[in-house]
Formats: sequence, C-alpha cells, structure tokens
Amino acid sequence: MIQIKDLQFAYPGQQALFYSLSMRLEAGSITGLLGKNGAGKTSLLKLIAGSLHPQSGSISVLDHTPGKREVSLLNDVFLVPEEFYFPATTIWEYRKVYTPFYPQFDQKMMDNILSEFELNSGDNLKHLSHGQKKKFLIAFALASRCRLLVLDEPTNGLDIPSKVLFRKILAGSLDENQLVIISTHQVKDVENLIDKILILDNGKMIFQQTLSDISQKVCFVTGNTPDVEGAIYSEAIPGGYRLMVPNGHSETEVDIELLFNAITNGKKI
Amino acid sequence: MQTNNHFSSHRFLLLCRQSLIINKKLIAISLIGAAGTLFLALLFFESINNFQSWSNYASMIFFLFCYVSLGGIYTSQSFPAFRSKEKSLVYLLLPASAFEKYIFEFLTRIVILILFLPAFYWLVANFEGVIVHHYVPRLINYEFSFKDGFNQIITNWKLSGWNISAIIQFCLFVYLATFTGACHFTKSPRMKTLFTLSVIAGGYILLGYFLSWVFDLKHYAMFSKSIFFLRSKEDIYIFLSIVGIVVNLSLIAISWFRFKEKEV
Repeated sequence: MIQIKDLQFAYPGQQALFYSLSMRLEAGSITGLLGKNGAGKTSLLKLIAGSLHPQSGSISVLDHTPGKREVSLLNDVFLVPEEFYFPATTIWEYRKVYTPFYPQFDQKMMDNILSEFELNSGDNLKHLSHGQKKKFLIAFALASRCRLLVLDEPTNGLDIPSKVLFRKILAGSLDENQLVIISTHQVKDVENLIDKILILDNGKMIFQQTLSDISQKVCFVTGNTPDVEGAIYSEAIPGGYRLMVPNGHSETEVDIELLFNAITNGKKI
Repeated sequence: MQTNNHFSSHRFLLLCRQSLIINKKLIAISLIGAAGTLFLALLFFESINNFQSWSNYASMIFFLFCYVSLGGIYTSQSFPAFRSKEKSLVYLLLPASAFEKYIFEFLTRIVILILFLPAFYWLVANFEGVIVHHYVPRLINYEFSFKDGFNQIITNWKLSGWNISAIIQFCLFVYLATFTGACHFTKSPRMKTLFTLSVIAGGYILLGYFLSWVFDLKHYAMFSKSIFFLRSKEDIYIFLSIVGIVVNLSLIAISWFRFKEKEV
C-alpha cells in the first residue's frame, strides 16, 4: 500500500530531515510510528498524505504519487493532524458539506461513533473543546472508510475514558483493506492497538517490525538487578529494573516504551 | 469506477456548495457592509456639493476608483485557506482536483468581481439616489446609468480603443497581481504583494535609468523616429496593452503553478 524508496526531504534553508529513508507498509495493519521530538514523524505523515513534496526518492501510496494530489488518492486517504481547523458550523452542516467528497462515507458508522463519543449533530464545532473536536475528526476519519488513515497524535487532548473508547472504536471499525498509521508519543495509549512498529531516528527508519516478530525475539521482564545474563537493555524503575532479554520460551507483552529506548540507544534485536 | 482526476462538474458544484454554506454569514456581512459603506460614501460626496451637482460622470469616476481599489482588496483575500497552516492542510487534502479548486477561486474572486461589482454598484447608487431624492428633492440626476457615465468618460477623457484596452489591462493587473500574491504569500499577502511589485518596478526604473545613461538616450526626444518603435501616444497605449496582456497571462500562470506546488 505504501512504498517509500530513498526519500530525501528538507525544509527550505534547513538541514535534511530524511536521508535515504525507505519503508514498506501493507494494508490490514495498525502501525505505530515512533520517534523523538523533531525526528520528522509529522513531516513523514504529511509526505505520505501529499501535503509536502520530497526532494528526491519516491513515495507510492495506493499506486499514486501523493504529491500530485490526485482526487483518486485524496478520496482514499484521510489525515487527522495534531492541530486542526473547523469552520463555525454545526456537526450536521459539516457532514452535509464534506461527506459527499468521500464516496465510501458510512453515515451509519458516523452516527454510531458520534453517539459513543457523546457528540450531537446540533453541536457547533467552534464551541467544542479541543478534545471533542478531535473526537469528531477521528469519527469522521473512520466513517470516511478511506483505505489509508493517517493519525498524528490522535490521543493528545483526549480524556481517559475517551482514550479507551478511541482504542475500542478504532479496533472495531477497520477491515483488512485499510491501513492505519498512528504517530504518537503516548505509547501507552496505543499499546494494545498497534501491530507493527516503525522507529524514526536521525533521518532514517531504524526499526520496522511487527509486534509478533518482536515478541518472538525478545521478552520484557522486571528484575531486582540490571545484570541479568544476556539482557539486551535495562532501565531503572521504582523498586527494580525493567529488562529486555532474548526470548527463552514464553512470549510477553511488548513494552513499547522500553523497546523504543533500547532501539534509539543503538540496541539491536 | 474510474475517477476523473482533472475536472468533474459534480465535484466543482460540491466545492461551490461547501464554500457557500460554510461562508454564508461572512458573505452576508460583507455584502451588507460594502453596500452600507458605498451608500455613505455616495451620500458624503453629494453632501460636499450640497446635494446639487452630483452627476453620472462623478458617480462613474467614483465607481472606477472603487472598482480598482475595492476590487484589489477583495482579490487580495483570495485563497483564504492559505492564511493558516491548519486551514491549508484541510484545503489541500480535500478530495477535489487542483484545477477545480483553482478555477473556483478564480471565478469567485476575479470573474464574479468583474461581473458583480458593476451590478452591485448600480443597485446601491440608484437606491441611494432614490432615497436622497425623496428627502432632498433638489438633488437631480440621481439615477445612475453606466451607459451615460461611460459615454461621458469616453468623451471627457478622449478615450479610443487602445486607451480603453490599456485601462482594462491595468485593472486586470491589479486583480491578478493581488490574486497571485494571495496564492504565494501566507501572512499579510496584500502588503507583501505591494512590496514585491514596488521592488520589481523600482528595479525596472533603475535599469531604464542605467540604460539611458549608458546609451546617452536623454538627448533624444520621446517620439523621435529613432527611438525604438514608440512614435506616438497611440503606440504607447498599444505597447502598454500588449505588455499588460503578457504580464497578466504570466500572473495567471504563476498563480496556477504556485497553487499546484503549494506545501504545508
């Protein structure tokens, strides 16, 4: 679904953000894009969605070049940015005006998600809180039935019940033809949701693996000492240590935060 | 089903509908505001003449002033989505082709202005004339007619085909330059367009001065046969008209390519 080859990109007058970045993603997964602040996660999402143009290399999304912004691609890609704009209009009016642009739009699904998020059609978007606006945008993105959903920090601004609801709704409303890319710092919010992890660092994709591959290779345990034989990486936590060790026999839940710190500190698995 | 990636009348109508519904309050307020301001301005000019000598000619001059200045302000507000990053992102990724979005902006900013502003002015001027005449019966010639006003301008200013063409190109230049500026610049497009045009004009004046100094042209009379191809005032108007057409077409091309390559 997405194929990026030797991508180079820099903002005018700035150092290159990506040098020779390559990656490949297929439909039917929820992929987490992780990286430090300034690593270029948002820029990469914008390049995939087509709002930025690469300097060199190629990006192919659903067999289109996103920078051309062809309608046949825009119909099938929805970007939920971290900061967004809504006109001063009601949810009902917004739906009336914008849904015809998305041929696959599922009005029934939109109604269901809105009611789960406790949003009413008569609510004016200008008067909603940031979190409520975000919930509306997420609902719209999911109901658009676009094959590629790009979510930039989707849980920022959501309260705890809404985060739980977000995970539930997202997991329950996708099919195998869709791909979701979630860029986030709040790894705990998406821990049980994502099935593939991408880590972006120093202009390159330094890690691309599925959660099942990761849990076959390593497991995450808690111990009293960091000096466990064969430990790949360890971090102090209150009352002990969190360790990433080669997998012996049993699979554990992937501790994404620890994995991220290990990978960005140069550890390999 | 195959999607037409270039132009679809259905999508174009959706864009029109979207803009109309989302901006309905703004459009209503702007129309009322502009009508009120025009009404008061016409009233003010008539009061200066003690409500006696306001004519179609004076009204037409005021209209031309409004046509260029208000028109320039209006076209400088083209591509309103580009004033913020968040709006730009929504606008650029909305599933409509770049051509549809550009044509929509061009039609609603330039074509509608050219066609609508005269009709709007005609309505307000006649409404104002009728109202003032009702309360101040000594005001005569209160009916505004474009035909009479235009004929008086042609007669008083001794305009011919090429003069009119040069004036039309100048008006279009004002609109297209501000339209292009609004497409190119994110913040304060009007001021930045003015600044850019001043720098370009200043550059050409300096170049002209430099060339006249190098080739010692100051000894030649303006319409001397030995100077280029400009032998009469008519030649100057023809020259200005042709330059105007070339510059205006270039501005349309620049705004289109800038729009297509816009990033956010």
